[in-house]
Order: sequence, then structure tokens, then C-alpha cells
Amino acid sequence: MSGKSRRDFLKKSAIIGAGVTGLSTSTTKAAPKNILSEDRMGVLVDTTVCVGCRNCEWACKDAHNLPAGDLEAYEDRKILEAKRRPDHTTLTVINEYSHGKNSNLPVDLKIQCMHCDHPACVSACIVGAFSKQENGSVIWDTDMCIGCRYCMAACPFQIPAFEYDKALNPLIMKCDFCFDRTKEGKLPACVSICPVEALTYGQRTNLVKIGRDRIKRNSDRYIDHIFGEYEVGGTSWMYLASKDFKELDFPDIGRNPAPGVSESIQHGIFAYFVPPVSLYALLGGIMWISKRRKELEEEGKI
Amino acid sequence: MKKILVIVLTLILTVGIEAQQSPGKNHSKLNISCKTCHICDVPTKDEPCLILCPREKISTVYQKPEQTPELIVINQISDRYGPVYFSHKIHAQMSVMSGGCENCHHFNTSGPILQCNSCHETARKREDVSLPDLKGAYHRQCMDCHREWSHETGCNSCHTLKKNLKEAKHEDVKKKFAGKEHPVISEPTFITYQTNSDKGKIVTFYHDDHTNKFGLSCASCHKQESCTKCHDVNKKTDAKPKLVSTKKTFEEQHKNCISCHSKNESCTQCHSDKVVEPFDHVKRTGWALGKYHSKLSCTNCHGSKLPYKKADNKCLSCHHGWNNETFKHSVTGLQLDETHLELSCEDCHAENNYSEEPSCTNCHEDYVYPKLKPGKLVRK
Repeated sequence: MSGKSRRDFLKKSAIIGAGVTGLSTSTTKAAPKNILSEDRMGVLVDTTVCVGCRNCEWACKDAHNLPAGDLEAYEDRKILEAKRRPDHTTLTVINEYSHGKNSNLPVDLKIQCMHCDHPACVSACIVGAFSKQENGSVIWDTDMCIGCRYCMAACPFQIPAFEYDKALNPLIMKCDFCFDRTKEGKLPACVSICPVEALTYGQRTNLVKIGRDRIKRNSDRYIDHIFGEYEVGGTSWMYLASKDFKELDFPDIGRNPAPGVSESIQHGIFAYFVPPVSLYALLGGIMWISKRRKELEEEGKI
Repeated sequence: MKKILVIVLTLILTVGIEAQQSPGKNHSKLNISCKTCHICDVPTKDEPCLILCPREKISTVYQKPEQTPELIVINQISDRYGPVYFSHKIHAQMSVMSGGCENCHHFNTSGPILQCNSCHETARKREDVSLPDLKGAYHRQCMDCHREWSHETGCNSCHTLKKNLKEAKHEDVKKKFAGKEHPVISEPTFITYQTNSDKGKIVTFYHDDHTNKFGLSCASCHKQESCTKCHDVNKKTDAKPKLVSTKKTFEEQHKNCISCHSKNESCTQCHSDKVVEPFDHVKRTGWALGKYHSKLSCTNCHGSKLPYKKADNKCLSCHHGWNNETFKHSVTGLQLDETHLELSCEDCHAENNYSEEPSCTNCHEDYVYPKLKPGKLVRK
């Protein structure tokens, strides 16, 4: 609570300060919300436990009012023969890979938004529709979204999808970490339905500890790597696996937050009205030069 | 009187509760490392500092599969589906060769067998998420094997939707498993292994010799078998075994053999360039094992330690008490007549050497065996 009131105080004083100095408040808004609270939540996906039943796919659609169909229909494993990506109708998908170390079982992998700690989509969004929430979710405001799809290009995991087939009012779609459900104290729909609890929902800091502990105690089951602990500056969704993440089609991305470079350039350019001020200065300069030339010409004529 | 009754009752109750929770009174004296369950050096009653769920062998859990319950009804968390009827005994029989009781009962100290929900909480949304919840724990136990051999993850193989559930289901299932045993597993005569060894690519393993002659039980080698070794929906019984290339280390590869065969034995003892004939006592030693000796285990004559020590062919080396009075000569197929019964063994069998033909020259100068016999032939 104290953190919140402090923030409120800072916000207020920033607005007052901006008002006093006559500056716009846009500088305070430009920085993403980016609240990396110690209590932020996450999910630890144990791919050695996941059986690929695809119940999570059904539960996700059901929770997001997307056409879900019959749960029993998801038992068909033929769909796993081809690799899929989340799209605007299926916000999470399961893909199947060949077995990992010390097992004959295939590796089943759930894909959805990773809910980065330093989300590139938040940085890339030119209207500020995207935001990282205190509970770890990366969500967006559909009313603010102008459909520029910068978020789609910026995402290192290529997660945000777009309703291309809708002519009117198409929306950006992605996993929202069941923001509406967690707000009410419920678990994310996928976590709730998973029959084997391959998805563990908890405090991110705690999940990292649990993940490390599992690796330590079952070194023949896991590779020594929690994907998402450090990748792109850390993600809310983290993965344990029995084989290298590259073999599971995880992007080979470093530890630096994806928006690091683009954000500094973009925010640098847009900071303190540099582009509009320089544009007006340029236009003013041109006007001044042409006006002066005209005056000289007129003087010369006379 | 009332007071005594109350005291006795409380005592019984506390002992009962204690027995349910504690791992047993003298569990510190069991042959288990303390570190199996406790993280600190000096665990106390108040601070037992327990490690969560070690999947290690804790001997006192072990029960013979036949002593275990036949059927267990799992219905603690049923909502969409009806209860699951778990055929415990048959699963226990299968587990003998694939991890044993602790495969599922992975955290049981020397006390009574714990219920899953004594560690695994029923609520998914909970404080401590280091362990799976009850639903997750149940499914993990079943799915690891089931999806390996069925290649399916459908719920219907164990669950029945509540709406399709008939009243009499429980009784039907009970009948299905009542008194049912796992069928006897047939063993192969021999197995040929293709190896990469320089000392000979082929190892011929006579499986039946190892079980019949050396008295090995199934579980002395087959401890951690995968279920798919026997159960697989895609398994074809007549198909030739697939060559599997493993990346096992030398030690892992030879683990089962080395528990009996010495590490220092020559590689060629087992490795050869061709499929080896089964062991034949006549061919290898020149001694044909008769009706009686062939029934014996190798260890009876050659000692229990490997390599077996060579036995001589003198009967008295093993049959110490034999003499002309105690030995019934008719077992050899020759019943001695009365005159010869009186003689001592050495009179015909010089120096007690029974591998040589007996000689009659001690008494009868020109008699030759077997032309003339000191008795009559009988059926052995």
C-alpha cells in the first residue's frame, strides 16, 4: 500500500510540477508503466510434465468468449503433427516435439504470451495502449489501440495477433494472463484446468526458486536452464525442459530487454518535443529564408 | 473408575494419532540415510526439517503385491467425471519390475502408508505451490505410463463423464478385478545383443540359464523397466526387435552383469563374433551330467562365488560319507551281486577314480569290464 501511495504522490507532484513549469505531462506518460513489483505473479511451465491434452486451449477460448467447441474434441492428437502458432482465435497452442533426455515421451509445449518484465510491445505501442500491470500481466486497451500492429513486429516471441478477417473494428488479440479472472482472485483458465498441473501459478520470485530446486533434485530429467528467468530481461512465464530450448523452437534471444535499443531511440527522439520542435524550426527556417528571398527580390526590383 | 477409563481412552487416541503422523518409533535405526528425509543434521520433533518427497527406496513401505488392496476408488475431487476405479493389485504386480511401490508411494517413511492428500492439497489455488496439487499428483502418476503405451491423452480411458455414469458401475468394475492376477510373463531362452565392443560384437545371453540355474528373480535385473517393454498399443509380437542405440556409459551398460560377474573377467567370456551355443557341461568339461546331477544348481558343486571353482571328478569330494555300505550301487545301473557287495569301492575303482573304467584284475586276472559284470544291469 505504501508503494502505491508513494507513486500516487509522485504522480501528483509530477502533474503539479508540469503545470507550474508549463511543460506537458507527456514526458511522464512516455515511460511505460513497467511496475516490477516483488509480488508480481508468473507461471512455471514444466514441459516434462505436460501431457499435451490441450485442455488449456479449450479453457482459454472458453474464458475469452472465443468459439471453443466440445472439450472432448480436443483429445484428437492429429493436430499436433504440424506446428502451430497462437492466433486471434486460439490465444494459446500446444506443439509437440520429439522426446528429450532419458524419456521415450514426446515433449509437449504450451505457447502463449510470455508477459515480459520489459515488454517490447509496451514500448512499441505508439498510442500507449499496452501496459505491464503490477501482477505481471501485459495487457492492452482495445479502445486506445489504432491497429498499427507495431506490437506484432516488436514482440520477440511473435505473439500478438490481429483480426485480419474483420473489415470493421479488427482487434489485436493475445493472451492477457486472464487479467479479468485474476482480478477476481481466480486462477488463469489454463492453470485452473491443467490435469497434471504442468502450469504452476505463483509469485515469480518463488517460481524461480521452485524451478531451480526441481532441476537440482532431478538433474537427469531437466536441462539446467529456466527459460524466461533472464531472457529478454525476464518473463512472467518461465519454462523447464528436458532438451535444449533451441530444439523447441524458442527464439535465441539474449538477456537484454528487447525494447532496450528501440526504446532509447524512439523515446530519445520523442522526448521534449524534439521532432515537432525541430520540424517547426525547419519549416520556420524555410519560411523565413523564402520570405527574405522574396523581400530581397522585391527590393531588387524596386 | 471413570477417570481411569478417560485416561486409557486418551492414551489410545494419542497413540493412534501419533501412529498416523509419525514415521514410526525406531525409524532412526532403519537402514536409511537421515538425509533421505531430513535436510538438517539434527532434526527434532518440533523442527523435523523434512525434505519434500524423496523418490528413494524406503524399505518398510514394501508389501507383496498380493497383500495390497485389489481396487481403490478415487473420488475425492470428482466434478465433471465420476470416480476412477483403480486396479491397485495388478498395478502393484507390474511395479515389481518397474520401480516398485515407491514409484507411486514416493514419500513414505516407516509408518503406515500415507494417503496422497496428506501432502498434496486439494485446492489448486494455494499458498505452497512447490508440490503439485492432488489432481496434478494423481494424473502425473497415471499419465506417465499410460500415455507411453497408449499414445493417448484422452480422459475416457480412466474417467467416465458423470452424465454417462450408470448406478451399478462400481459393482461391475469390482467384479472385473476380483481375484485377477497379472498373467505370468514368459521369458526368452536367449537374447543376442549387438554391441560396439572390439572384443566381439555379439553377446549371447542365455536368459533361462540365469533364472533356472543361477536362481535369479525377475526383479534382480529388471528393476526400472519401462511399461512399454510389455505394453504398447503399437507393439507387434512377431516383429523383430528394433536395434536401439543407447548412449549409456560402460558402467551403465554392464551394471546388471557386473553385480554377479567380476569386473576383471575377460571380455571374451561374453563378447564373441558369433552367436554362442548354450553352456553344455559335457562339451566344456567332459563330464556328462546324469539324471541327478543335472537337477542341481551350479553353485552346489562349484561354490557360490564367481568365477566358479573347478570341481574334480571324485565322488567323495562331495559325497563324503559314501562307502560300500552306504552307497546304493544300483543307481549307477548295475546291481552288484552278493559277493561283490562286500568289497570296498577301491577294490574295483582304483584310487576312487570313477571316471576310469573299473578294473577286475585285483581278483580276476583275465576278467575285463564290461564284458563280464559283477552283478546284473538294472534300469537307472
